[in-house]
Amino acid sequence: MPTPTLDAIDLSDRQFWGAPPEQRHAVFDVLRRESPFAFFAEPVVPYIPVGPGYHAVTRYADVEAISCQPALFASGSGAVSIADMPPDLNEFYGSLISMDDPRHGKIRRIVAKAFTPRVLEKLVGNVQAVADDVVARARRTAEDGDGTIDVVADLAAPIPLRVICDMMGIPEDDRAMVLQQSNVILSGGDPELVEDEEYMVTAFLKAGELLAGLMARLAAERHAHPADDLTTALVTTEVDGERLTNQEIASFFILLLVAGNETTRNAISQGVLALSEHPAERDRWAADPGLTRTAVEEVVRWTSPITWMRRTATRDVELSGRSFPAGSKFLLFYAAANRDPDVFADPHRFDLSRDPNPHVGFGSRGPHFCLGAHLARREIGVAFRAFADALPDLEVIGPPARLQSSFVNGLKRLPARLADAR
Amino acid sequence: MTRVVVDREVCMSAGVCEMEAPGVFELDADGVLQVGEVTDADAVETAVRSCPTGALQLVD
Repeated sequence: MPTPTLDAIDLSDRQFWGAPPEQRHAVFDVLRRESPFAFFAEPVVPYIPVGPGYHAVTRYADVEAISCQPALFASGSGAVSIADMPPDLNEFYGSLISMDDPRHGKIRRIVAKAFTPRVLEKLVGNVQAVADDVVARARRTAEDGDGTIDVVADLAAPIPLRVICDMMGIPEDDRAMVLQQSNVILSGGDPELVEDEEYMVTAFLKAGELLAGLMARLAAERHAHPADDLTTALVTTEVDGERLTNQEIASFFILLLVAGNETTRNAISQGVLALSEHPAERDRWAADPGLTRTAVEEVVRWTSPITWMRRTATRDVELSGRSFPAGSKFLLFYAAANRDPDVFADPHRFDLSRDPNPHVGFGSRGPHFCLGAHLARREIGVAFRAFADALPDLEVIGPPARLQSSFVNGLKRLPARLADAR
Repeated sequence: MTRVVVDREVCMSAGVCEMEAPGVFELDADGVLQVGEVTDADAVETAVRSCPTGALQLVD
C-alpha cells in the first residue's frame, strides 16, 4: 500500500471511513507525524449550517492534554457531532457527553451512584448467563441452517443488548425497537441505515422520540412500582435533594441504550475479526484464560470502537507550542492516539499480553471518561471466553460490511461459519 | 505510613480505583469514594495512576 500524501487526505470524506482499517491507520500515521493538528472542512449535514472546520488531533499527548483541561476545551457545544447541532438537540442526544460543569458534575454524581462497581456486580451477574445463551443460540442457528452465522447479528449485538436491557428493565417486546433505533442514532448517516441523507436529521429525531416514549412509559411504571433496576435508580436517586428532571432522564436513558449497545457490540465483532486475522493470538487466549485482563484492553485499543469525541476551545489556547483561537474545534482521534509509537511499542502489533496498555479507548483522563468502562470490560471478557470455550470452531469466512461512519468504528455484518455444525 | 489523599473537587466516582484495589477503595451508597488502609501498595499505586480524573495522590 503506498504511503498516503498529506494533501490527498480528507477525514470528512465518508468513503474513507468505509475503507479497511489499514488504510485508516496509514493516514493517521502520516497525520500524527506531519500534521498533528491537521485542519479539515466540515462534512455537510442537510439543514444544519456548516461550521468553520476542525482540527484532527492524532497524537496521544495532545489528546490527553485536551481531555484533562475541560475548562479550556468544552464539551457543551457538542461532543458527538462535528457540526454544532441546535442546543436542545445536542443535549437530548448527547446527555452527559455534551455537557460541562457544573451541570455535568451534578448529573454525573446522580448516575454514578447507579454505576458503582458494587451495584454493577449485582446487576451484571447475568452477563455470563446471557453470553452462554447467545452462544448456544448461535450454534442452533448454524445447525438449523447451512452452518453459517453472522458474527454481528448472532453474537456481538445480542450480548450487550440483552445486558443493558436487563439492567434497565426493558420489556422483551421493546428490545428489537431499541436495537433498531440506537442503530439509526449512531449510523453516522450510513446509507444502509438512513436511506435518504436528506432525511438524516428527521430519522435521528424520530429515533429519539421512540426511545423517549419508551422511557416515559417505564418511568411512570417505576414511580408506581419501583423495581431492582437502573431505570428505578434513575427516577428515584437524589443528590443534594435534587432529582433528574424528566427531560434529563429521557436523554440519559437514550445515552445508556445507545452507548451500552453500539460500543461493546463493535468491540466484540471487531475483536472476533482481529482474532481471525491473528490466529496465534486467538489460540494463545483460548488456551490461557489468565490472559483475559490484558487481552480485553488490547481488543479495546485495537478496535477503538468510538473513533473520536469533539472539544471546543473556550478561549484562545495553546497546545504543543501552537496557538488556536477561541471557538476552535478539535476532534480527539482516540483511534490514532491508540497507535502512537511514542506511547505504544510496536503500535500496529496486536498483542494480547500488552502491559502496560494505557489506551484511550474509553476516553482519556478527564471528567468524561466512559461511565460504562467496567461493564464493557466485563462483557468483552465474558464474551470472548464463551466463544473460546463453546465456539472453538468459529471461522470468519468473508470480509466484513463496514459502517461508513467516522464516529463509530462499526461492522454491520461479518460472515462466519461453525465448522462442526452440520 | 503511605496513605491516599482524594481531591473531592475532582473525583467523579468513575470507580476505576475500586476495580484496581477493591479492598482499599470503595464507592459508598451515595457514590462517594471511601478510602481504607493501604494494604496492597502495588494495587494502590496502579489505582492512583489509573484514576481518569487524577483525583488520587499518594503521600507518605
